[in-house]
Amino acid sequence: MKAFSNFHPLVLFFYFISVLLLTMFTLHPVLLFFSLLGAVLFASMLETPRAVLVSLGFYVPMFLLIAVTNPLFSHNGVTPLFFMNDNPVTLEAILYGAAAAGMVISVMYWCRCYNTVVTSDKFLYLFGKLIPKLSLILSMALRFVPLFKAQVKKISRIQKTMGLYSSESKVDRLRGGFRVFSAIVTWSLENAVDTAASMRARGYGLPGRSNYSIYRFTPRDGAALGILAVLLGGSLWGMKTKVLEFSYYPRVAALSLTPVVLAGYAVVSALMFLPFLIEVKENLVWNYFRSKI
Amino acid sequence: MELFSIKDLSFTYPDEAQKVLNSVNLTVSEGEFMVVCGPSGCGKTTLLRLLKRELSPHGKREGEIRYLGTLQEELDDRVSAGEIGFVMQNPENQVVTDKVWHELAFGLENLGLPNGEIRRRVGEMASFFGINRWFDRKTSELSGGQKQLLNLASVMVMQPRVLILDEPTSQLDPVGAAEFITTLHKLNRDLGLTILLVEHRLEEVFAIADKAVVMDRGRVLFNDTPRTVGGLLRDCPEKGRMLLGMPSAVRIFSGLNATGACPLTVKEGRLFLKAHASNQACRRIEDGELKPLGKELPAVQTKELWFRYERNLPDVLKGLYLTVEQGEIFAVLGENGSGKSTMLRAISGQNAAYRGKVELFGKKLQSYKGTELYRHNVAFLPQDPQSVFLKPTVKQDFQEICSAMGYEKQEAEGVVARLAEQLEISALLDRHPYDLSGGEQQRAALCKVLLLRPRLLLLDEPTKGIDAYAKNTLEQILKELQQQGITTIMVTHDVEFAASCADRCAMLFHGEIMDAERPREFFSTNTFYTTAASRISRTLYENTVTVEDVVELCSRNGGLQ
Repeated sequence: MKAFSNFHPLVLFFYFISVLLLTMFTLHPVLLFFSLLGAVLFASMLETPRAVLVSLGFYVPMFLLIAVTNPLFSHNGVTPLFFMNDNPVTLEAILYGAAAAGMVISVMYWCRCYNTVVTSDKFLYLFGKLIPKLSLILSMALRFVPLFKAQVKKISRIQKTMGLYSSESKVDRLRGGFRVFSAIVTWSLENAVDTAASMRARGYGLPGRSNYSIYRFTPRDGAALGILAVLLGGSLWGMKTKVLEFSYYPRVAALSLTPVVLAGYAVVSALMFLPFLIEVKENLVWNYFRSKI
Repeated sequence: MELFSIKDLSFTYPDEAQKVLNSVNLTVSEGEFMVVCGPSGCGKTTLLRLLKRELSPHGKREGEIRYLGTLQEELDDRVSAGEIGFVMQNPENQVVTDKVWHELAFGLENLGLPNGEIRRRVGEMASFFGINRWFDRKTSELSGGQKQLLNLASVMVMQPRVLILDEPTSQLDPVGAAEFITTLHKLNRDLGLTILLVEHRLEEVFAIADKAVVMDRGRVLFNDTPRTVGGLLRDCPEKGRMLLGMPSAVRIFSGLNATGACPLTVKEGRLFLKAHASNQACRRIEDGELKPLGKELPAVQTKELWFRYERNLPDVLKGLYLTVEQGEIFAVLGENGSGKSTMLRAISGQNAAYRGKVELFGKKLQSYKGTELYRHNVAFLPQDPQSVFLKPTVKQDFQEICSAMGYEKQEAEGVVARLAEQLEISALLDRHPYDLSGGEQQRAALCKVLLLRPRLLLLDEPTKGIDAYAKNTLEQILKELQQQGITTIMVTHDVEFAASCADRCAMLFHGEIMDAERPREFFSTNTFYTTAASRISRTLYENTVTVEDVVELCSRNGGLQ
């Protein structure tokens, strides 16, 4: 199911940076539509469609909120629909608000996908090459956080069974929390002594440390990176040369449908739907091979 | 070939007068499986740590340690780090990174190996240890047993020539421990790896070791094959103390003052008894009467208890019925994840059952208001005694409880002093709780919860991580508390401890308590889940479940022939 996440972290990172950049720097309704649809479809492949539906329950109200807020504050535009407190509420401002809202929601959906696809170790792998020490420290911190949380829970529970810090009084609870915290600090230091010993015992500190990763850059990754670069370049070129420009003020521009613009749409949509299409293709291939067995 | 040769090694910790190690001479040959044992404080951990240069404790050292003929001080850094592997006691603290694959690669990264070679070695070790199933997982999601296997594997990827292990199974449950020991045996047998192991639980290890070293007070008492050592222990002047923790067969052999080859395993023990103690005129030990049941209100009574952690998770307790009379020591045994700890938490009010009821001393759990339940009524000793302490000294922790209980200053001092005396921790009151040994820590934690003056004591795995001597002390303490009228319920994996300590035992399985029985009845009818002594003697006698039982019945029948 996760065909896209099997690409090399570099490809994934490049991809997410590209779509986020494109989404954040445009208000073109068609581009935003592609971006939002691509992100939602991809998310529904990563998570269950049900989870995505549930999440829409949060994002749709948010979309409406942003879309409504803009015309309340911005009164630009030449097509007033009605007046509120003597201020015009214009069609342009509403459409602009809707576009901005679409942009925010798409970015959020892309970030959601990013979180599932680019896991902490992939991120560490990418930046560990630049700063090897930092990547180890981050990795150790990531190990420590769940441990710390579990210990806080354990100690608080035990203190409660001794009838300590469980009264209704807020002061008592605060004091209890503070004591638990100070005990945990001691506990972590104690822990760290053992961890340090275990690191020394396995030769940490010897000169010439190398950095291992389980990721390999394959020709397939190279090809993907090439295609992505072409698509990104095309989109950026389109935005730069105003082919993919759209203006809301003072009057909403008409959508031009010249061959060049259509080509631009094709390039952007290819970029936005790429992960979704890869997942779909992989599913089809899988079903096809299974039917052959 | 001599891998390690140790000559006249002595060691003193800073600020201490007594030598921890006193002129130790020892050689470890290539391919040997050596187990080091002895009562706690005998210096075995110090000895092991001195062998690994990176972990040497600070202090004054005399004598010399050679590795393959080279003095330890002159060893190459990479040889010292890579060829001598060390696994410590606590599975949690040794893990460095967040992902299993990264942990495996950590040592090799330190040695600066290229990516391709790391990939190959990590892959090989992961499949040898059966780690491939959880290779991509986070280390925080692993069980204790898995963590310790991972620690072993991440040392093994560095291809050490000798593996030193300091009580590696003491924090594991019996299943995890057995798996770990089996793996060690496999490493020794199939790869010819030299192994030096300190262990509490000798029942399985003793028979597979090539050499057993017995230490006491910083000296090496015996250093020979386990069989010979088993025989030598019989004539040891302090054999009561030295024999604790030895395999049951060795203890029976020694307790009967037998001669000849010392049996090491259950099978050998059984053959030995068959051959030498064939007189079976008396086959049973009669249990004394428990004090009449049902006259007073039971300490704990649960009816139809149902519990689950989340709505969507399966039930852990499924209609649990349990009755524990006042003044009993009641042991609940069961596999990992059978719900033992959950049950204790339900009794102590930490988990609320969604159906059924709990009555303590005839009063419903819910009718205990505020902190009433935890003062003068129920005390809970958790699996990890460390989590009981919050203060920099044991004494301050006790004082906090005293003030919470509203003792007067003088009264408080008296109570603390008396309890500390009884639990043998008077000398430890000014120490930091984390600096105590496992057994001491546990007694201090017990002391803290006893300051709540409970009528009912709940113990979660009380013998985890403590040695045989501390277990013995704990048993005596629990029996003294029983004399004072305190009821104890413990959940444990430790069949030996339950057999000698409890008044009644019960098995928790499938979320229910199976029938509770007296230990002799309970363990002699089990075939698998029972003590080694019972397995040794079951064809000969009807209900002997501890080493003492076997020795007593054998003597009653006229001793050895």
